[in-house]
Amino acid sequence: MTRYRWATPWLFLAPVLALFGVFKFWPTIWGIYLSFFEVRPYRGNRWVGWDNFTTAFHDPVLRSAVGHTLLDAVVTVAASALLGFGLALLLEGPARHLRILRTAAFLPVVTAMVAVAELWNTLLYPGSFGTVNTLLGHLGLGAQPFLSSPHSSLASVMLVQVWKSAPYDMVIFVAGLAGIDRQLYEAAAIDGAGAWHRLRHVTLPALRPVTTIVLTLGIIRGLRVFTEIYVLTGGGPAGSTETIVTYTYKEGIQNNTLGLASAVSTVLFLVTVLLTCLTLWWRRRKEA
Amino acid sequence: MSKLKSRRRAIPGAALAVTLVTASLALTACGGGDSGAGKASGPLKVWVRGAGDSQKAYQMVFDAYTKKTGVKVELFMTNTDFETKLNAAAAAHKLPDVVIDDGAQLGTFKKQGIITEVDKSKITGAGQVSATAWKSVADDKGATYGVPFSAQANVLLIRSDWLQKVHMQPPTTWDQLEAVAKAFTTQDPDGNGKNDTFGLDVPGSTQRGYLSWYWSNFLYQAGGDFLTPTGSGGFTSTIGSDQAVTAADFLKKLYCTDKVVQPGALNQVTTDTNKAFQTGVAGMYLTGPYAYATTDATAVKGKYAVVAPPAGPKGVGALAEGTTLYAMAGSKRSADFATLASYMISPEAQTTGMTGVPTATIVRLPINTTVDAAEVHGGDPRWQTAQDVYAKSSTYEPVSAPDWQTYRNDASETLNKLLSGCGDSKQALAGLDSTYRSLLKK
Repeated sequence: MTRYRWATPWLFLAPVLALFGVFKFWPTIWGIYLSFFEVRPYRGNRWVGWDNFTTAFHDPVLRSAVGHTLLDAVVTVAASALLGFGLALLLEGPARHLRILRTAAFLPVVTAMVAVAELWNTLLYPGSFGTVNTLLGHLGLGAQPFLSSPHSSLASVMLVQVWKSAPYDMVIFVAGLAGIDRQLYEAAAIDGAGAWHRLRHVTLPALRPVTTIVLTLGIIRGLRVFTEIYVLTGGGPAGSTETIVTYTYKEGIQNNTLGLASAVSTVLFLVTVLLTCLTLWWRRRKEA
Repeated sequence: MSKLKSRRRAIPGAALAVTLVTASLALTACGGGDSGAGKASGPLKVWVRGAGDSQKAYQMVFDAYTKKTGVKVELFMTNTDFETKLNAAAAAHKLPDVVIDDGAQLGTFKKQGIITEVDKSKITGAGQVSATAWKSVADDKGATYGVPFSAQANVLLIRSDWLQKVHMQPPTTWDQLEAVAKAFTTQDPDGNGKNDTFGLDVPGSTQRGYLSWYWSNFLYQAGGDFLTPTGSGGFTSTIGSDQAVTAADFLKKLYCTDKVVQPGALNQVTTDTNKAFQTGVAGMYLTGPYAYATTDATAVKGKYAVVAPPAGPKGVGALAEGTTLYAMAGSKRSADFATLASYMISPEAQTTGMTGVPTATIVRLPINTTVDAAEVHGGDPRWQTAQDVYAKSSTYEPVSAPDWQTYRNDASETLNKLLSGCGDSKQALAGLDSTYRSLLKK
């Protein structure tokens, strides 16, 4: 019986692997395969080689969508991580009131994105009588267009994303902070290190693995941003919030060019894998 | 000890069993079972794009059909990703027998090869269907690719109480529309002392081509069109015409110069604009007559009038749309399709579709010329207005162009960009024209 012992963990993993296989791995492979075809569900797909990729790379709309996606990813990942770290420093600890505050801060994460987006849509109503604009009015500031102007739409969308993801980063940082040996702080304090030096030389180095996780997850999340943008602006106005995935959705579902949509998804998939590998490699090098 | 050993052996076995069950469940879920057509017997499989109370209304029509002919109907209805589900069914070669969907899908469906030509001579009562409606289901060479079930034309919903407040009449020309829109925006027609009302309610999002759908009213009022049939099959692009530029300039003036459009318009779809009209944000709404039922269920009931859209340089014009029965490829039920279509265009089914379920007018305007919409709706003059606009002044989009949706989406993108940047209409439409030309070459 011991001969088959190696199989035991695999058998336990098998239910999840089977589900992933059917709903993740197989669709991914199938999507890559479809990138090389003009997809015609009824008439049968037509092989077009690299045509879909050529079309994608030459489409100025996709190029600007890539730009928006990268900007969105970088800004939201950085801002969420900073804010999450700040929140973690403030709210870390075993005290009961901190637990309550942490739970409150975490609520945006567990709320459905569509509900969050609809809520922000109402708050950011561009008229002078919108909720946020009314508050700005009390401060003597004029009404802001927020999502309705191509100049401020992307920034507004990012604001919502940061609001939603910063608490998620906070939780990871809190876990990281809890794992730091308290004696290090005491030793540093005895050596005369102030709060800033303790943060700089004890906390931050100890949090490096956690930071990598936060950044990796953030980049992956940032590159495939869709729901919030689709609900808030639908990619508009004037394509100012078009991202790679909203573009893919439009091409695949609205314009019925599933081959092109698959090609774009394939490229996005490869880039994500590459970026993840790079982050992991960088992490290993730093930690080695 | 031996007990422990046997339990240990049992656990991997149980895990394996769970896996097999999960995997088979997942596979069954994917396959969806046998839901396709191609069978010569059994119930007729009909897919309808729609939701909510419409399902009750369709069921009423189908029940009456079954009673009459003995042919059972298996109805599948959804609004969520309808076309995606249809794509999946097409890929599996398990299409339903009949699909009832937006008339604007004709070109797309035909290009995909999933619909078949309809023999009009097999359809009883075909002569009672209006010529305009039949034209809307013809392809670029005049062949019939569907049977019309419902039609509609856009009308102008306008707040009558606001008009009274600003001492104005409903607009009948572009100039008057602009004047009323300005008055609604600047003269506080709701009298709440706040500067929070607007003249026009515009669904300006690019999603599903909303902005193009809205703007086409102005395009037809200016005498323009998106594409024009060559007559020998195929189309030429006319979107760069002077008429189209005039129509774009008009909307741009309202949005950019007069600023009489509700805030956030360029991101909004009809769900948002319905709300804007129903909650007193905007006072004029160009939309279809299906809005009567939903608007009457809100606080503005009785506070709005329905008039024909205003006249542009060419005269009164409005977008016409419809719901169409498509005969699906691979179905062996062409005889049943003919009897179902014959029943659905009959005065009886048309009337049921209009009033069977008051909250869901699945037939907006009857396509059967012997049925009078206003009469069926108990003499409601709003339906008379819609019927007059449809009969005298409406134009269908070139829905038979292959992938018409793509053209509509491109028009929306161009107009959305034009309005948000308040740019040059002629230049923007020239760009759209070249996109259309390259699409037509494909």
